[in-house]
Amino acid sequence: MSESVTVENVSKVYGKSKYALQNVSFDLSPGKFLVLLGPSGSGKTTLLRSIAGIEKITEGRIALSGKCVADNKVHVSPNERNLSMVFQDYALWPHLSVLDNVAFAMKRYGLRKEDRREASRKVLEKVGLSSHVDNYPGELSGGEQQRVALARALVGQNGLLLFDEPLSNLDADLRDRLRVEISMLSREMNATSVYITHDQSEAFALADIIGVLEKGCLVQMGTPEEIYSSPATPFVARFTGLAGELRVEVEHFLNDNSAVVRSFGENAKPFIALGKGTDKAKFGHVMVRPAAVQLCSVTDDNAHMRATIKDVAFRGHGYEHVVMLEDGAQFANILSHHKHERGTGVGLIFNFEGCILFPDTTPDRELSDLSA
Amino acid sequence: MTTEIVEYEKADFEPGLQREETEYVGKGTKDRSFMSLIGKTKSLYRMGSLSFWMVLFLAIIIPCASFLLLAVSPRLFGQGSQFFTLSNFKAVFNGTTMLALTNSLWVASLAALLGVFCAIPLAWLFHRSDLPFKKVFSAAMWLVLLIPSWIPAIGWERFVNPEGILARIHLWAPWQGNLIMGPFGIVLLLGLRNIPFSYLAISNALSGLGQEFEHSAQVHGASRFQTAKLVVPILFPAILSGLAIGFAEAISDFGVAATLAYSSHFTLATYYIFQEIGNFPPNFPVAAAFSWLVVLAVAVPLYVQAKLSRGRSHQILSGRSRQVVVKRLSAPVKAAVIFCLCLFYFVAVGIPTIGVVSSSLLSDFGSSLHITFINYEKVFTTAGLGAPLERSIEYAAITASITVMVAFVAARKLTKTKGKSAKILDFILLSSVALPGIVFAAGYIFAYNLPFLSKIGINLYQTTTLLVIAYIATSLPTNVRMLFGSVSQVSDSLNNAARVHGAGPVRSWLRAILPPLSRPVVTAWLLAFTAILLELPVSELLYAPGSPPASIAIQDNLGNYHFGIGMAQAVVATFVAFAVVGTVFALYRLIAPRGWRRIGGTARV
Repeated sequence: MSESVTVENVSKVYGKSKYALQNVSFDLSPGKFLVLLGPSGSGKTTLLRSIAGIEKITEGRIALSGKCVADNKVHVSPNERNLSMVFQDYALWPHLSVLDNVAFAMKRYGLRKEDRREASRKVLEKVGLSSHVDNYPGELSGGEQQRVALARALVGQNGLLLFDEPLSNLDADLRDRLRVEISMLSREMNATSVYITHDQSEAFALADIIGVLEKGCLVQMGTPEEIYSSPATPFVARFTGLAGELRVEVEHFLNDNSAVVRSFGENAKPFIALGKGTDKAKFGHVMVRPAAVQLCSVTDDNAHMRATIKDVAFRGHGYEHVVMLEDGAQFANILSHHKHERGTGVGLIFNFEGCILFPDTTPDRELSDLSA
Repeated sequence: MTTEIVEYEKADFEPGLQREETEYVGKGTKDRSFMSLIGKTKSLYRMGSLSFWMVLFLAIIIPCASFLLLAVSPRLFGQGSQFFTLSNFKAVFNGTTMLALTNSLWVASLAALLGVFCAIPLAWLFHRSDLPFKKVFSAAMWLVLLIPSWIPAIGWERFVNPEGILARIHLWAPWQGNLIMGPFGIVLLLGLRNIPFSYLAISNALSGLGQEFEHSAQVHGASRFQTAKLVVPILFPAILSGLAIGFAEAISDFGVAATLAYSSHFTLATYYIFQEIGNFPPNFPVAAAFSWLVVLAVAVPLYVQAKLSRGRSHQILSGRSRQVVVKRLSAPVKAAVIFCLCLFYFVAVGIPTIGVVSSSLLSDFGSSLHITFINYEKVFTTAGLGAPLERSIEYAAITASITVMVAFVAARKLTKTKGKSAKILDFILLSSVALPGIVFAAGYIFAYNLPFLSKIGINLYQTTTLLVIAYIATSLPTNVRMLFGSVSQVSDSLNNAARVHGAGPVRSWLRAILPPLSRPVVTAWLLAFTAILLELPVSELLYAPGSPPASIAIQDNLGNYHFGIGMAQAVVATFVAFAVVGTVFALYRLIAPRGWRRIGGTARV
């Protein structure tokens, strides 16, 4: 049965005052796949390990299916939380065979050895390792080892699966394949999953819900679509994929959710960006998603800005360009079906759906000085 | 409380690197009795930690520090009238004592060079060539390492003795004695003993050194010579390590100093310290001042080597394993190399073995070649001759067991904790490595013979207990270093994975941590056991009267011209050492599960 996860105001302090987590709260419904996304040092590993019971929290409360497993007085040990985990470094016991590694996770259910082994064989077959049951971890490749770790996590059919950056040590091709397996198998089991990664594409591909962590704080939580279209902060926007950023002057707000803005530059024209305009700021930053930039002829009247092609790479489904704007800033990952040669001038057209305005809170005069 | 959000690297949050280890607390309950259990567990942990530091303090720091302090402050220990003086150092810088030090310095330098000079080709042959039987030759290196230095020394002595085996088969000539019983023989013996140390240092580096360095030099136009010039410096830290360790080992050695060098009237520093303390009345302050110089002579190269090695190519060398191309040797080259290796082992192991074994089978004096087993018969039937060996086996087993346990805790502390305590522990253990056994033992004599200890009821001097404590203290630093590498390789995630998948604290430790460490623990136990079984310097100074261990009994018999019995005891003791090693490894092979035995299998990438 899948478990719900409740995290309430959880903080973790190292030493006297170094916060690894600060007031993190969320509720995860049973059967959902949560991906915690954040850079190194954002606290995602600490949060996952706190849910697992490997770390003790300093403040707050963690409950699994309503049952408190950690607060400032209680700390239920990991072996009593009835969960499974896939570790970044696989954490396979080198002295046990593949089969015994997987079967170990069944011991807590008091099954007979043969039953444990039988169940483990079935899961190993599912992950494509039925021919390696008698091998030792040292005899397997990195991808095979991570499959064993996945099988070990799945075999107990626990209600909660934890994934600690399980794909970060694998090469690109293997990552894609294993990612699909993780997604399929965990949903097949109907388990609640918490998965941490620093890779936004992995997060978007796997998650029902994404939580973005920055310096120990959960800065936004939502569906992948929400995170992508309405990032709560510039950090979230940057961490979930940008072509580039523009310093802009806000000409006027159209409504509560969009504004007409203009970048600084001789040939810059006004364009629409999404953003809350309640504070009526004069300046701001526009975060531009790669899909929101379209390349056109430098003489095209629809172009909002002009730029020069710095680099171009063939990507199979088109050409990916890097351009330099008139003010020297660079935009990357701009896809076009046509190849634009290096050094040629191009126009940029911005689609408002992928342009997110973050008005500046700094006094206007300072900003106008800066832009000048 | 001020709060601060700090950008951490991920490593900062690795639980293994935190000072306070996560404590798992059983069932989630707010029951008071349970909370008191947590309190008790914490108290036990603190008590254990306190006991550990107490052991280090009493067994290592106090004896060594007080002995070395004595050199400048004799009055502090009731050994003179001055609270601070450098006069003891002046006394050291006179002709005879300086001669002992300079002898040691140049002999150790040459021995270190000899060790490295032989170790480089050996390491290359065993790691980079298709030499037949290289595993056998490589394993035979352990023979050189396991036998205490004084056994080959007395073996050589008996070999070239005018009444030794050479004389009895009419091959003896005076030049042989003159050659071995002097600086040449001493350098040769110490140098041969250094080879395994240098070999280990260099072969570790060589096995991690992929051929991409050579290939990249060659594709960029380097000749063979230029390539070698480029690649050899990458091994420079390892070569330096070999030199420094070899020098330190040679200068600290007491076995050769007390046997071959003493018989050759060639005084070495460690034997000089022994004499100063053994003379009546003992001159502790001068011995302490002299010990300072010896410790400095050992510590300086070790420190320089550590400094030079840091930030050099170790990171490159310890990266993921690389494909190494094995050099194919032609048949004549193979034959020549095997001949040279056989010759090397004959000189390093064969001749001393012949010397020791032949002496145990021949009459002590005379020129007949009549073989007799009377000496062995006496060793096994006369209580006074067999007892020392039984005693040594007992001491060695106790020492090895305690040492491995303490060393395991220390290695865990070194790898799993950060901060001052780990640094202090590291410093204490590293410093102890630089202390020659004889200085260690002298510190024990001095510290545990101080009158005030007797007044407070501690009477350990001249007891077996003190001897065993000293054995543990001398074995501990090396043992910790040995276990450190293995312990640091066992990731915390193995334990965490076991806990997360349902194992309690004890079961997860037994199932996840102990098995990968079982082989290093067994090896560490065996090394401590064999080292103590025939240990000489500490035994010489600290054995309880009437209860001599094997090494002392053998030395006594040799000193009293009972060569046959002494040598028979040495042969039996060495046999016991190898038998224990063989039996324990065989038992491990039989009893340990297959997975335990195959830890370290290489990954297929």
